[in-house]
Amino acid sequence: MVIGWIIAIIVLVVALAFFLYYNKFVRLGNQIDNSLAQIDVQLKKRADLVPNLLSAVKGYMKHEKGIIKEVTDARKALVGAKDMTGKIKAGNKLQTALKSIFAIAENYPNLKANENFLHLQQELSAIEDKVAYARQYFNDGIMEYNTSATTVPGMWFAGLYGFKKKDYLQIPAEARAVPKVSFD
Amino acid sequence: MEKQRLSFYSEIAKNKRDSVFLVVIVFAVLVLLGYVIGLAVGGEWLVLILIFSIVFSIFYVMISYYNSDKIAIASVGAKVADREKYRPYYHSVEGLCLASGLTMPKLYIMENPQINAFASGRNPEHAVVCVTTGALEKLDKRELEGVLAHELSHVANYDIRFMTLAAVLVGMVAIISQIFLRSLWFSGGRSRDNKNVVFIIIGIILAILAPVVVALVQLAISRKREYAADSSAVKFVRSPTGLIGALKKIKSNSEMKVSSAIAPLFLANPSRAKEFFQTHPPIEKRIERLEKM
Repeated sequence: MVIGWIIAIIVLVVALAFFLYYNKFVRLGNQIDNSLAQIDVQLKKRADLVPNLLSAVKGYMKHEKGIIKEVTDARKALVGAKDMTGKIKAGNKLQTALKSIFAIAENYPNLKANENFLHLQQELSAIEDKVAYARQYFNDGIMEYNTSATTVPGMWFAGLYGFKKKDYLQIPAEARAVPKVSFD
Repeated sequence: MEKQRLSFYSEIAKNKRDSVFLVVIVFAVLVLLGYVIGLAVGGEWLVLILIFSIVFSIFYVMISYYNSDKIAIASVGAKVADREKYRPYYHSVEGLCLASGLTMPKLYIMENPQINAFASGRNPEHAVVCVTTGALEKLDKRELEGVLAHELSHVANYDIRFMTLAAVLVGMVAIISQIFLRSLWFSGGRSRDNKNVVFIIIGIILAILAPVVVALVQLAISRKREYAADSSAVKFVRSPTGLIGALKKIKSNSEMKVSSAIAPLFLANPSRAKEFFQTHPPIEKRIERLEKM
């Protein structure tokens, strides 16, 4: 009689585990997809601010054609990027170009005092932090997912349901190099 | 000698585990108290006392829990922070919300020259964060970020909910003790057999000691959650530097006048008392742990 109860409880617990682990992987997967989209949101905000920045800067930096072209091209690349890796690569390139513009702006005291310019500088600086945080959260999500999928007993359910390990966000090689700020 | 490095992951887990263990202790005290009193006054009375204490404690605590965000803000006279005027404040919190996956809380400002901050709200969807004007003026960007990360950690770790649960249990211990002691006052004349008298005496001792013990345990629980919030802050920012800098600056804060109900929610304890009676760990110990991360 007691054996019967024990078996029933064990079966119940195992059945529950099947449900819970499936839902856990789905939930973590959705969270990861969402966090990828969040990175995208920040990159898009960066791209959207660039035209404003360029018009604020063009009045003062008329002959800095090189850097202005660099920023414009980088933005075009970002907007036209197809997949996430491409977007992040383009985002990094744009960030580097923007760093150059802000460095060059140091030579133009009138520009530096311009309210609009300062506002944009602040916003773009904040976006840089936010992209970093969004990537961090994405990678944290990958880690949690992978840990569940590779530890006992999650690994059994992962195998059963076909949930595979996911990849971290790779930093494109150029982004690791110290950005070259051009003062031409 | 090599200083041992701490991992914020393990610190978060350890402090959360310890706080759960302490809540279990409170629960055990409650059960013990109930058991002894039940033996002293009889089963039916015990059930009545228990029901009364649960209802009363929950009722008392739940109202403040449900409106914890509004109550906290109102009690210190905080004002909504204007996004245009306090853009760096908003940028910092938005970034931290991206790092933590939290929904954006409502942001408030409190006029006070001391450096301090608090967070409240029953869940992330109803969360509020408030900083003092002193904090915005005296802290640099990294330090402010560390402070805000600590506050958001309270939200992320559901600390308000946790401390409320502890408060309900502690409240029940206090109420049961009170009812028991008062009931003896009134029924003094009736004769009892020897067995009952022994339990009554034990019951009296427990009823006097238990509320004090669980109150101290409640403070210990609060301190554990504070350590966990410090570690979670490091997890969000991936660096303890900002928070360490802020805590060092806070050390020179002088005493702040806030009601004792609100005091536990602040970043650093606004009052000066012995560690045992503090809701927050000593700042030196907090800095020490952070410097090992």
